[in-house]
Amino acid sequence: MRRVLVLALRDLRLEVRGRAGLLSVFSFFLVMLFILALGLGPEEVLLREAAAGALWVGMAFAGSLLASRAFGLEVEDGTLDDLLLAPGSREWIYFGKLLFQMLLLLLLGLLGLLVAAGLFYMPLERFFPLLFTLFLGSLGYASVATFYAGLLARLRGRDVLLPLLLFSLVVPVVLASVRATEGLLVGLPLDEVLPWWQLLGVFDVVYVTVSALLFPWVMEG
Amino acid sequence: MERTLARPDAWTWAFLGLGLLLLPVGFYLALAAPPDVNQGYLVRIMYLHVPAAWLGYLAFFVTFLYSLLYVFRPDPRYDRVAASSAEIGLVFLGLALVTGMLWARPTWGVYWTWEPRLTTTAILFAVYVGYFLLRSAIEDPDLRAKASTAVGILGFVNVPISYMSVKWWRSLHQTQSIDLTTGRVQMDPEMLQALLFNLLVFTLLYLGFVRFRALLAAWEAQKEEA
Repeated sequence: MRRVLVLALRDLRLEVRGRAGLLSVFSFFLVMLFILALGLGPEEVLLREAAAGALWVGMAFAGSLLASRAFGLEVEDGTLDDLLLAPGSREWIYFGKLLFQMLLLLLLGLLGLLVAAGLFYMPLERFFPLLFTLFLGSLGYASVATFYAGLLARLRGRDVLLPLLLFSLVVPVVLASVRATEGLLVGLPLDEVLPWWQLLGVFDVVYVTVSALLFPWVMEG
Repeated sequence: MERTLARPDAWTWAFLGLGLLLLPVGFYLALAAPPDVNQGYLVRIMYLHVPAAWLGYLAFFVTFLYSLLYVFRPDPRYDRVAASSAEIGLVFLGLALVTGMLWARPTWGVYWTWEPRLTTTAILFAVYVGYFLLRSAIEDPDLRAKASTAVGILGFVNVPISYMSVKWWRSLHQTQSIDLTTGRVQMDPEMLQALLFNLLVFTLLYLGFVRFRALLAAWEAQKEEA
């Protein structure tokens, strides 16, 4: 457990020190939301209807850039093998990287919520249910993204392959997240949003479990 | 690798032969089946649409199974069967999508609508297209097998979701006439017979195709080694 935390914090520190990578992801995300709002606007009703979709599309695209960062530095610096040689089982590497992805994605989502509130007239009265949706959606996304990033880390052409593979698999997660967010925005009662949360929860559990089980096997050799 | 491997065995020929032989019979039964109360003769697309979709799911399930087998024992044969099955599954699922669209136009008025069953099926299609993109991107056979095994297992998550989607989200798409989860059947017996027969024919063809395709893959691997 401590290892997971240490690995995630180490990656986070490296990213913050490097700055350029993170900054480019965040500004890409902002520019994208801005362009989407520009393209759909300026009618308020229309923008509000599109808010949930725009937010999650932005998350998905920016998230695919983040995903390649999970193992990007390890490959650049040639430290991947050192990491794999560390004693003990290798699941903790997966969980460490997953935690790192989650922290960044949540940060991105939080920023996205605030920006969407401004650009898309998104109401934030139900902030905590929105945050909960953000958490569930990010976890589903990050679980697959981290796994694929590790799988493809040593391949040439991974930057093109990663989004292609990732998107098809996380579409259900994005879809459920959009629906849940939409429901919260139009003011549906919580028990009508619940089925989408349940679906997200099932995805999270299945993806995290399967990925964590397969990860050590995929990374060896 | 010994040379004797490189011949289709009796089972392959039996499945293929029987499948091809019964295909016209299934076709006849489909055309002779009574018209539907609501849809008339249009319903006959079903005898192609349902077996194709079903076989798509079955093929991906086989891919999933052989991928799991590969995890426990990395035998290149398992990987070849998994890939072959995914390939044929993709063909069947494509057929299901196309026939579904042709069916949707006269009944729902549009070729495509963003309805859960359609959406999840399209996603499923995309997942396995990704599977082959990945395979074509990796040259090292061991790594290729490993990576595609992972996708074969993770991607299968979407199959039950696609199957259950018509029940979870009550929508435009008809619910299952033959419900595997409860075992209930709601269909005219004569239509059911024709459907089941076509299902059998398609399954036979699928078995023959998979065995043949896996054999071709083995030949390819042999050639790569040489």
